Amino acid sequence: MILTESKPLGEIISKIDKKSNVFIIGCNVCAAKMGTGGEPEIKALTDALTELGYNVGGSILPTAACSIRSYESLVERNENIQNADVVLVMSCGSGSSVVATVLDIPVVCTTNTLSLGGLSKGDIHTRICIMCGDCTSSIYGGLCPTAECPKSQLNGPCGGSKDGKCEVGNKDCIWELIEKRFSGQENLPFEHYITHKDHRND
Amino acid sequence: MKFREKLQSGKFVITCEVPPPKGTDTSYSIENASFIRELADAVNVTDNQCAQLHMSSIAFSTLLKQNGYEPIMQMTCRDRNRIGIQSDVLGAYGLGIRNILIMSGDYPTFGNQPGAKPVYDLDSVHALNAISLLKKGTSLSGSNIAGPFDMCVGAVCNPVPEKKFQIMKLEKKVKAGAEFIQTQAVFDVDMFSEFMDLIRDRGIDIPILSGIVPLRSVEMARYMNQNIPGISVPPEIIKRMEYADDQIEEGIEITAEIIKCMKNISNGIHIMPIKSHRCTKNLLRRSNFL
Repeated sequence: MILTESKPLGEIISKIDKKSNVFIIGCNVCAAKMGTGGEPEIKALTDALTELGYNVGGSILPTAACSIRSYESLVERNENIQNADVVLVMSCGSGSSVVATVLDIPVVCTTNTLSLGGLSKGDIHTRICIMCGDCTSSIYGGLCPTAECPKSQLNGPCGGSKDGKCEVGNKDCIWELIEKRFSGQENLPFEHYITHKDHRND
Repeated sequence: MKFREKLQSGKFVITCEVPPPKGTDTSYSIENASFIRELADAVNVTDNQCAQLHMSSIAFSTLLKQNGYEPIMQMTCRDRNRIGIQSDVLGAYGLGIRNILIMSGDYPTFGNQPGAKPVYDLDSVHALNAISLLKKGTSLSGSNIAGPFDMCVGAVCNPVPEKKFQIMKLEKKVKAGAEFIQTQAVFDVDMFSEFMDLIRDRGIDIPILSGIVPLRSVEMARYMNQNIPGISVPPEIIKRMEYADDQIEEGIEITAEIIKCMKNISNGIHIMPIKSHRCTKNLLRRSNFL
């Protein structure tokens, strides 16, 4: 799941001319789960802009903003998009970039894309994959120090964790979690030199 | 005697940390180095420590060398990718720098450029390996390096015996070519001694220079205990500082006692005062070095 946060309304309206006809596109996958681009958020943004005197001509909620077939497929869903001067996309950066490929009017992304994370047992996990293009998580039992260690330490922990917590942000040190996962085991798959990453597919 | 020769001779080694200036006025940093002239076998030059912007370690190491000191240029993996690391190592060699200390580096959000993009393309073990390859005449990718290259390469560790994975990494650092280790500050001599026994039992045979940070106040001792990973100030030291009439004086006395113990346990010391080296000569005298 792509983790996003909504930009402040002030930043969004600073990108829109008050006289323009605004159209909104949400995203019913990650952004809906994050509460940044689903049905309720589209309605809330529409109401907020209308109250401020902006002219919102309509909206659509595609299954995934990052997977838009064509401009025509958007028109099929809501033909008011044809009158739009600017389109606000309530999705991750990938979604707004895909929308921009089928439109020739300005596209404004209403979120900040934070990381590739996940949702498990009700908890949001941030930055659990950084899409390095050279996955080595199997060496660490499925955990990924490339992503979850802020310093991407592949050969062991840095000296910065204290009481099992990472020095950056309030989270567990991934190397402490790896140590727990492999506790009592011998011949650890990472006890020898683990080579540097190939970033060509990054 | 050169730093590497002294390391290899088995004699007790003294290194001192001298940070570069936070700008271009080098007078304070050069004066700081002057306090330890003739005392230190080599001088560590920090690389934007605490992620605070300073003059580059490569430049200030060169200036210290021109002033007659033997620098140990510190290099973090925070600000350079693999091209930058290898290129700066070659550049340092070209400028006459012959000692280098590799570390991951404090994260940018701790410093005064908190929005900086952290690099960490290589980890510290990779960087040590890259330097070992340069010594053999190739880069990390296998391309050839023209001309001679050699450096005495060091690494760092927290001397905490129960940190098994940190010790695993220390082992990897040695295998990747580290020739000496400088540790986080030591206050708990028994714990450090246990660490030394543990690594020697595991066959990690490399000179270890114990980190020494002279205590200046009981607040500083408590702060380090609570906030600095790898540092453990025992309760009896906290108590001595708390009840001392003159905390600076007591701090020097405690530090001198620790240094005297290190003579029998480690291969040397690495002195990192919070402020300047003004008191370092006195500290070494009190530790029976002068």
